[in-house]
Amino acid sequence: MAGLVTTFGAGAMTNSIQEIREADFLFVTGSNTTEAHPIIAMEMKRAVRRGARLVVADPRAIWLTTIADRHLALQPGTDVWLLNAMAHVIVTENLVDHDFVANHTEGFETVRDAVQEYTPEKAEAITGVRAEDIRKTAREYATTRKAGIYYTLGITEHTHGTDNVYCLANLVLMTGHLGHASTGMNPLRGQNNVQGANDAGATPVFYPGYQRVDDPEVHARYEASWGVPLDPKPGLNLNQIIKEVGKTIHGLFVMGEDIVISEPNVSKLEEGLNQIEFLVIQEIFLNETARFADVILPGACFAEKEGVFTNSERRVQRVRKAVDPPGQARADWEILTAIARAAGADWKTSTPEAIYDEYVADAPKLRGISHARIEKEGGLQWPCPDPGHPGTVYLHEGGILRGKGLFTPVEYRPSHESSTETHPLVLSTGRTLYHYNAATQTRRAPGPAAKQPEAFVEIHPADARSREITDGDRVAVTSKRGRIECRAMVSRQVRRGCIWMPFHFAEARANLLTVDVGDTVTGTAEYKVCAAEVTLVQALENPVAFPGSFASVQQDR
Amino acid sequence: MIESPSILLDGNPVPYRPGETLLEVATRAGQDIPTLCHDPRLEPMGSCRTCLVEIEGWPRLAPSCATLAEPDMQVTTANPRIQRHRRLLFSLYLADHPTEHEACEDGAPCELHHLAHRHNADPNWPHMEPLRADRPGDRNPYVEFRADRCILCARCTRYCDEVEGVNAITLTGRGSETTISTSDQISLMDSSCELCGGCIAVCPTGAMAEKMPLVAGAPPERELQKVRTTCNYCGVGCQLDLNVDPSADEGRGRIVKVTSPPPGTITGDGNLCVKGRFAYDFVHHPDRLTTPLVRQPDGSLAEATWEEAIARAAAGLMGVRERHGSDALGFVSSSRCTGEENYLIQKLARAVFGTNNVHSCAAT
Repeated sequence: MAGLVTTFGAGAMTNSIQEIREADFLFVTGSNTTEAHPIIAMEMKRAVRRGARLVVADPRAIWLTTIADRHLALQPGTDVWLLNAMAHVIVTENLVDHDFVANHTEGFETVRDAVQEYTPEKAEAITGVRAEDIRKTAREYATTRKAGIYYTLGITEHTHGTDNVYCLANLVLMTGHLGHASTGMNPLRGQNNVQGANDAGATPVFYPGYQRVDDPEVHARYEASWGVPLDPKPGLNLNQIIKEVGKTIHGLFVMGEDIVISEPNVSKLEEGLNQIEFLVIQEIFLNETARFADVILPGACFAEKEGVFTNSERRVQRVRKAVDPPGQARADWEILTAIARAAGADWKTSTPEAIYDEYVADAPKLRGISHARIEKEGGLQWPCPDPGHPGTVYLHEGGILRGKGLFTPVEYRPSHESSTETHPLVLSTGRTLYHYNAATQTRRAPGPAAKQPEAFVEIHPADARSREITDGDRVAVTSKRGRIECRAMVSRQVRRGCIWMPFHFAEARANLLTVDVGDTVTGTAEYKVCAAEVTLVQALENPVAFPGSFASVQQDR
Repeated sequence: MIESPSILLDGNPVPYRPGETLLEVATRAGQDIPTLCHDPRLEPMGSCRTCLVEIEGWPRLAPSCATLAEPDMQVTTANPRIQRHRRLLFSLYLADHPTEHEACEDGAPCELHHLAHRHNADPNWPHMEPLRADRPGDRNPYVEFRADRCILCARCTRYCDEVEGVNAITLTGRGSETTISTSDQISLMDSSCELCGGCIAVCPTGAMAEKMPLVAGAPPERELQKVRTTCNYCGVGCQLDLNVDPSADEGRGRIVKVTSPPPGTITGDGNLCVKGRFAYDFVHHPDRLTTPLVRQPDGSLAEATWEEAIARAAAGLMGVRERHGSDALGFVSSSRCTGEENYLIQKLARAVFGTNNVHSCAAT
């Protein structure tokens, strides 16, 4: 999100989910939308059915490529080349929206000069995408009025993730695809309340409502509101906290995340957790991280408490209590309040609605939204500065939020790790339709558990053949950092030389393999590229069709 | 300014946008025209014939769901001719459907019974033995097809094709043996089905039923309490209804199933995926943590009271702060928790423990 804040002044989907159905051109990159955001994918399917053009840029032949006009199957980690080459075409063929560039942006010349070198032909050699396909995509994107970009972690989970975001933003700015319906720059959020956690200030840099902790005016306001002195310098981000565990971080409080599954290079983290002096976790299941905890506090799930979630399109929606938490488990807000009081703070026992009111009182972007309004009007989209404001369907309508959209020139930097003789394959990780994150919830549901019972690695038939691996065999996947075992899924969904794994399975933790090197700006780890190798462990005795992915019913192409 | 075109609907002029169907115009004007095969997310099929209206100058009644409004069309939505037609039609449907209203609604409410009742259908017509084949033994855990209730409106198969886009189920067979099945009658688990459950949501008669509540003998949907909430999985934020049996589990309440709100609901348009509709077993799972746990000197975990656990947690964090300073503490928040809870954890980190080392998994 840092990239978006820099360029536009707000880090969120610029447009709304419902606008997708009216779009005429969809550029989907680094998003396996049908599996990670199925209902947004339905809107895309609807647009395509209506006649919209769909271009998918992704190393894998994901489901959307089956209805796409074009699939740009780029080599993992070469996004900057592809996107800069598109910008190159738009600049050299004079498809730039000069009015928009002149009135609403700054720094266009820097990008115009920077992309000179990025010709589609050179890009073809590096990305593996045909130059002609890059040209066509750039032309169609630039010349279609309702053209939107949709992306997610395939763009950001790289050491050059912010660079990728800048490249996309450059395309948006030079074509003026901003401030109108069905256009814009749309990061699809992976988790129910990612946006809301950021909104509420659960970030080392911002107080609630995206107000910087090192802004003296903001700092003074929060010191006054909370009545305590506050630290004016930004804190550590998650990736830094995780790396410092057991070194400079001696006490850790983890609410609702299984860091031992979800964070990269987990064996190093486990060493740190063995060193740490004190660990509290607040959870609904005894997860893997619990092995290291000193205190485990049973929290409540979404069906057992009141509150709000903010979705991908900035819409604040209600969560309502349907059943009581089991046993003595309590709503997480009650637990946090109790801890604050036990630590000597004067926090009142409260209600979610009162907590919400306190939260938005100092956050101008959200101040107009209240539980009562949502009850009456349904979910509302921020910015919504006052109770009479209808909410904002798409951003930047009357001009860009930061004043002028900032072009940022980007030069290609290779991923942190490239394939080697011992680890010649490129491993990417991701989500599947049937499971969710550490799968503590979905593996307890019979359908997902049966459709996708165990961990697998997708491997191209040619790479499988040369390793004498057949579909369904038990294999070992190794990187410099670790080794896991799972089943092979021989599939043309991945490119030759690439493999792909879901990270959901505790017994085959893909994050024992991944790199913990983060993006230079955000610290987001490079889950999408690391060097790996696959070896046969045990051949499958009675080969059967392997259900669980559309790949198994796809024709051999 | 160009005046927008209008039709004469039951004698009143009603403007419309070009491309709108008569059903859309009439619904917007507050008319309640019965439909069985219609769903606003689907292409009109015009097969159930319950939405027929009379158009001045047209010799036959026309399906309003599949007829586009034209300038100055004179449309009648209710008169004795239309009522006679609907009564006859619903009587015919009922003759090939379980006659007992309550028994038919062992799961979801039956739109056919409701409409038949409203339009005075005759329930005493001779009953037909359905020839449509069931698909018993499909090992999928969620979708149960009950052919005797099916009226072949094809909402389910069209949803599977047009909205979900996977074409897992289809109309098969001919004539009175036409039924809903998969290609080669394979299990949904082996088909391209993604278990979104959209077929259950769009079915007007409960023919596509949710299997687990039926197997468990749960109360029918009409006896459950619906709680509208936001899905807890991905960032789309689809709205869904938790259907709760409030008296179950010693009054704690139990989620019997999840249903989708009507089409047009923001967010999600009434669509759900496999996780949102079906992956709620975790809520009532026996593995849930039900009591605070505290690590003992011997390394084991022991149950504790809330007072002990909270005191230990606060003391442990304060101890680290005393020994190493505030910035030796880290707070990892969760995008799974609510906005209010994320507000509290960052306030806890900042205002109580004095550090900005707080982050959720939303680093990107």
